[in-house]
Amino acid sequence: MIAPRRRRIVIGCGCLALGALAPGAAASGAWHPPARFARPHEASEEGGLWGMFDREEARLKRSAFLVRDPALNDYVTRLACRLAGEHCADLRVYLVRTPHFNASMAPNGMMQVWSGLLLRAANEAQLAAVLGHEIGHFLARHSLERLRDVKSRAAFANFLSIFFAAARAGNVGQFAQLGVLASLFAFTREQEREADRIGLELMTRHGYAPGEATAIWSQLLDEIKGDAVTYEEYAGRSVLFATHPPIEERQKLLEEAAREIGRPEATNLGADSYRAALARHRTEFFADELRRRRYGETLVLLERMRKAAADDGALEFFRGEVYRMRGEGDDLEQALNAYRHAAALHGAPPELFRSEGLVLRQLDQEAQSRTAFRRYLELKPTAEDAELIRTYLPRE
Amino acid sequence: MRLRSALLAAAALVLGGCVAMVRMGPGTVTVRDAISVSSDGGWNRLDVPGGGGEVWTSDGLSLDVLTFFVGIKDGEPLAPAPMGSRRVPPAFRAAMLPHQIVELYEASATQDGSTFRLERLAPGAFAGAEGFRFDFSMTRKRDDVALRGIAWGAVVKGKLYLIAFRAPRLHYYAKHLPRAEATARSALIRP
Repeated sequence: MIAPRRRRIVIGCGCLALGALAPGAAASGAWHPPARFARPHEASEEGGLWGMFDREEARLKRSAFLVRDPALNDYVTRLACRLAGEHCADLRVYLVRTPHFNASMAPNGMMQVWSGLLLRAANEAQLAAVLGHEIGHFLARHSLERLRDVKSRAAFANFLSIFFAAARAGNVGQFAQLGVLASLFAFTREQEREADRIGLELMTRHGYAPGEATAIWSQLLDEIKGDAVTYEEYAGRSVLFATHPPIEERQKLLEEAAREIGRPEATNLGADSYRAALARHRTEFFADELRRRRYGETLVLLERMRKAAADDGALEFFRGEVYRMRGEGDDLEQALNAYRHAAALHGAPPELFRSEGLVLRQLDQEAQSRTAFRRYLELKPTAEDAELIRTYLPRE
Repeated sequence: MRLRSALLAAAALVLGGCVAMVRMGPGTVTVRDAISVSSDGGWNRLDVPGGGGEVWTSDGLSLDVLTFFVGIKDGEPLAPAPMGSRRVPPAFRAAMLPHQIVELYEASATQDGSTFRLERLAPGAFAGAEGFRFDFSMTRKRDDVALRGIAWGAVVKGKLYLIAFRAPRLHYYAKHLPRAEATARSALIRP
């Protein structure tokens, strides 16, 4: 179910529902995917549920927030299809430009993958783990189970429409207010661990290293610890995590389940293919990420990405941007160091020199700032801010 | 759907009780005791509790918004944190460069998840001071509507004065832009 989980992500941390794995949730070797689902009759309760998601999908199709690049859509859809097997025919993937860690799959086959997840996954195996989990919810028809759990369907429809309205408004406050209601419709822990187990099955069947299902949660936990407020929300068990066990517990159970499944031959990471597929969109996704202004989390993310690609000038530029925008303590000096390092690497954008000029100007290093601004204008003479930058340079 | 109707009615009552709308002008109008501007009488001020700058509109908030962030002191944010958020919103600093003020405005304008793209940043006189202006485009998260915007700003005696106008790219931006520009041109800082 999309909305409740959206709420959790938006107010703090990614949690593709923080479930836990139970031994035997889908026992190794015993689990087989169900046959394709027929579209339910519209008068049935499941048909009504599909209808609601069909309307949401019609809206999503028109959204300006969709990432429409055919190559990236094709890449993610192919991966989802490999995992979903014959259910691929019923699955539609939508890449949504939203800088939070989330993916979801609705009972009608609408799968959403948010750009914050694409930015954070380190490789194809990690994305496969998340998509596999969502396909797991779909194959186990968890949404329908939840619907049947709710006594009053009228009330359910009401709440769902409120969630969708809140999701569109994107108002953090509204999400927080709706938190208690939302938790009523979140998947249960049993459903989460079943989806986790199915996800592991699917990813390892296709050769992806099961350890990456754990690694993506370790990465997220590291990011959470990088931001004091997010960590406070996490450790304080606010509404954010009220219905779910902590990441640490989930990691442990995922490791156990991976051992049970075995498959030592599943070692594929797909790191290079993943980086190549994302390359064209990384700058845009980072611009969105910076807008969150969760600098501590972003620095942890960047540090991790730099370890995998130490010679990437763009990553160093983004790191400089985080320090420049935060501007606390010795951040401006840190920003300068990052910009200068980036300039010596491959792939840094011209904006690097504008940012360097701005920082130097803030530090009253006028002559050096003019050198940086001149370089920026040489590289981008028609920049959107060229008129203002020229006022910083003496008339020549 | 009885419950839904009841909820909507309750929301309307709450909002109806809190949001006051006041017609501005025609003539000289004082904004937040910080500046005076000339209004053509077609603007309405909305007093929304917990809001940031002073908000004016002609056709309604979804269709055109003129926001005044005026007399903002060093250390003050443009807008308070959204309800329910424990995060400290970014604050204005007297030493900020125009680029940083654009980023400050961007942070406030995109709290709802909308996109923001700077189209032009140029020097420009504002409120009798050497200031700057910037043009931008956005996609509003709530309804996917493409917006255009323009803002005029200056930092005078350590305080920020910024007037931002934004409206749907289709029709409403062009409809109200000359009036927004005239209002911004008339701005004078109060002694």
